[in-house]
Amino acid sequence: MSLESAPTIRPFVIEKARTRLFGLTLDECIHAFFGGNAFMAVVVLALITVFLFREGADFFGQNRANLRIYREAGLEYVDYMRQQEKDHTALTRYLFDVRMRTVKYLTGVKGLTMAQTNAQLAAFDDFSSRYGDTVEPVRGIVADLTEVATAIKTKFTVNEDAKEGRRQLLAGGKKDEAAAVAITNLDFKAELAPLVGTLPAFKDASATFAKNLEQVVATVPVLPTPELQSRMLKFQQLTRDYIATFPATIHELETWDYTKPVPFTQSLTAFVFGREWLTASFWQDWYGVIPLLVGSLMVSFIALVLAVPLGVGAAIYVNQIASAREQKLIKPAIEFISAIPSVVLGFFGIAVLGQLLRAISQVAWLDWIPGFPFAERLNALTAGCLLALIAVPTIFTLAEDALNNVPRSFKEASFALGASRLQTVLRIIVPASLSGIVSAVLLGLGRVIGETMVVLLCAGNRIAIPDFTAGLAVVTQPVHTMTGIIAQEMGEVVRGSIHYRALFIVGIVLFSLALLINFLAQKIVRKYRISIG
Amino acid sequence: METSAAPAKFSVNVPASSSAITPGTASTLIEIENLDFYYDSKQALFDINLKLDDRRVTAFIGPSGCGKSTLLRCLNRMNDLIDGAHIKRGSLKIRGVDLHRKDVDAIELRKRVGMVFQKSNPFPKSIYENITYGLRIQGVNNKARLDEVVEKSLRGAALWDEVKDRLHESGLSLSGGQQQRLCIARTIAVEPEVILMDEPCSALDPIATAKVEELIHELKKQFTIIIVTHSMQQAARCSDKTAFFYMGKLIEYDDTRTIFMNPGNPQTEAYVSGRFG
Repeated sequence: MSLESAPTIRPFVIEKARTRLFGLTLDECIHAFFGGNAFMAVVVLALITVFLFREGADFFGQNRANLRIYREAGLEYVDYMRQQEKDHTALTRYLFDVRMRTVKYLTGVKGLTMAQTNAQLAAFDDFSSRYGDTVEPVRGIVADLTEVATAIKTKFTVNEDAKEGRRQLLAGGKKDEAAAVAITNLDFKAELAPLVGTLPAFKDASATFAKNLEQVVATVPVLPTPELQSRMLKFQQLTRDYIATFPATIHELETWDYTKPVPFTQSLTAFVFGREWLTASFWQDWYGVIPLLVGSLMVSFIALVLAVPLGVGAAIYVNQIASAREQKLIKPAIEFISAIPSVVLGFFGIAVLGQLLRAISQVAWLDWIPGFPFAERLNALTAGCLLALIAVPTIFTLAEDALNNVPRSFKEASFALGASRLQTVLRIIVPASLSGIVSAVLLGLGRVIGETMVVLLCAGNRIAIPDFTAGLAVVTQPVHTMTGIIAQEMGEVVRGSIHYRALFIVGIVLFSLALLINFLAQKIVRKYRISIG
Repeated sequence: METSAAPAKFSVNVPASSSAITPGTASTLIEIENLDFYYDSKQALFDINLKLDDRRVTAFIGPSGCGKSTLLRCLNRMNDLIDGAHIKRGSLKIRGVDLHRKDVDAIELRKRVGMVFQKSNPFPKSIYENITYGLRIQGVNNKARLDEVVEKSLRGAALWDEVKDRLHESGLSLSGGQQQRLCIARTIAVEPEVILMDEPCSALDPIATAKVEELIHELKKQFTIIIVTHSMQQAARCSDKTAFFYMGKLIEYDDTRTIFMNPGNPQTEAYVSGRFG
């Protein structure tokens, strides 16, 4: 055989294609495109987290400074005294409550006219006015000192502003003008002297106050029923307990020292456990997350209590019981709810639901329901009802998925053993999909806790911890929420101010809550997949 | 209508068979007459006439889609769960009671006519709970009684020795064959009269299959068993009578030996000898 007759050898091509874009082949470009899109989500999440923490981080430093000036300017000192006055006011309110109950009894049960009632209560009114007057000496001192402390704080603030102005001028290179800015270093000790100097006077006032109180409550007015009388006796005891706290207050004042440092942890605890969110106040700003957190949780809880039976019940019905035609009607209807813009739901809540609930609450024969009747149209209940509407589609869709994932063979086996439809659903289908349903509920919770518009419009926006001593009636109180406060206040704050940063920290709390809820839900779902196998 | 004890032989298009395995002793339990069955407008069963013997094993054979499973599911009204499935004509009777009469409670029926499925389907519960499920839904909660039933049923399903030490482990932790026997135990725990088996061994390996077949031999002393199978050998091994279906029609019904050795219909012969299906 000669070489010429050998068959031509085809080249063995296994290199990658030649067409390249930025040095990448077409396949690699496609890979990069889709990979990039997927990666973007991760990057955005990371950016949001970093941004939140960067903006919020300074809060604790600023809050510490805020708490320090609260101490250094003597506001804290005055607040100790003020607390005594406030407690007295609270007791007066209790007394007023007792009077209201008595009036209700006299006019209602006894059928007396208003004039007769007032005549009956003359002794009581005399007692309460004497009780109210006892605080006067303390009140006078507190009023005077409030002005002193405010003046010190103002001086300090003006000074800080001046320093800041000079810094800016220096940064701008205007040395002459900067030198012209007058700065006086505040001598807190001297400034506080008149404040601390009033301690003997306060001690006297406090002693007089205690003595007068003792005298007043030594004999309490007699009330018509044993129930009211026992309230009166309780009031007497409360007052005595109150008087017993006086030495502690005096002790606090004696040992008070404006130089005592504010530890860093205090700025943290003041936020985490702070029971007051008070901004733009002439006296002292407080950034405590508790009222907002409690508001958010309460509204979400109300929403879940309503949405879980509705959502899960509807899912069970549609998945297990409904005919094909009903399914075709119900499923899109429920899923459509999630398409309603929440602001529309919000004004529906104000205009319709709030009015309706209030009208229902004022129906006479419904007043056995806790919290009825209520006067506030916008409250946690109204917001909770609307949030439930928002949570239902989420819970319904995911719970229905979970039910769908239960193998049909379980259902058949149960029927073949002579189980009824209800028994099959309750004993086989629901237990088998329970973890899926639980995670549906969790995701529903995640959905409502982050909802803003509805709560901003309908929750009543009163920044205060709801009064849980009212029992179930607590749901009819107006609340404010974490989402609501951010939406309401973020537009008005100065960028970089402590208030601005505080809102970011609230955002971080919200973000962490949502993250935690989603994480739990995912974890439960994963476990559930494995168990069904 | 009284059940007559006379006809030992009942067949369609089949010459009289001579070799009944258990001649004369079996009485008829289930009578199916002129049954036409539809899925919506599609007819699945055409004029089925069949009498099934009490405490015998009857096998339904035939190629996929021939209607044998449909007929099986008519017997405990599992077809009720399928939208549009209905009987247009004819009747199914057990001891003379028409199963599809208006006042028959399907739930009560299913307690009397149990079913074992193609794919083993224990509930995601413990072995114990799987077996007691049928009783619990009937309201039986007496612990001693439940314990007794669990042991009896597991022994009946030849599973007791293998699982007696782990009754409270998940039913899903068992092997495929054990799971299927657990399903059988679960079925016999409610003490039905009839057990329907829809290809009970199609997902099992030969050893597990042999165990289930042995079990069927034991069970027929107490229960009437109707088994749908794709395995000709299985039908030959464990049934007394065999019905061959094709395209929704009953082609031939006779003693198993006759069907396999001496079928009367050329289609039956073609099928059992493996030429189609």
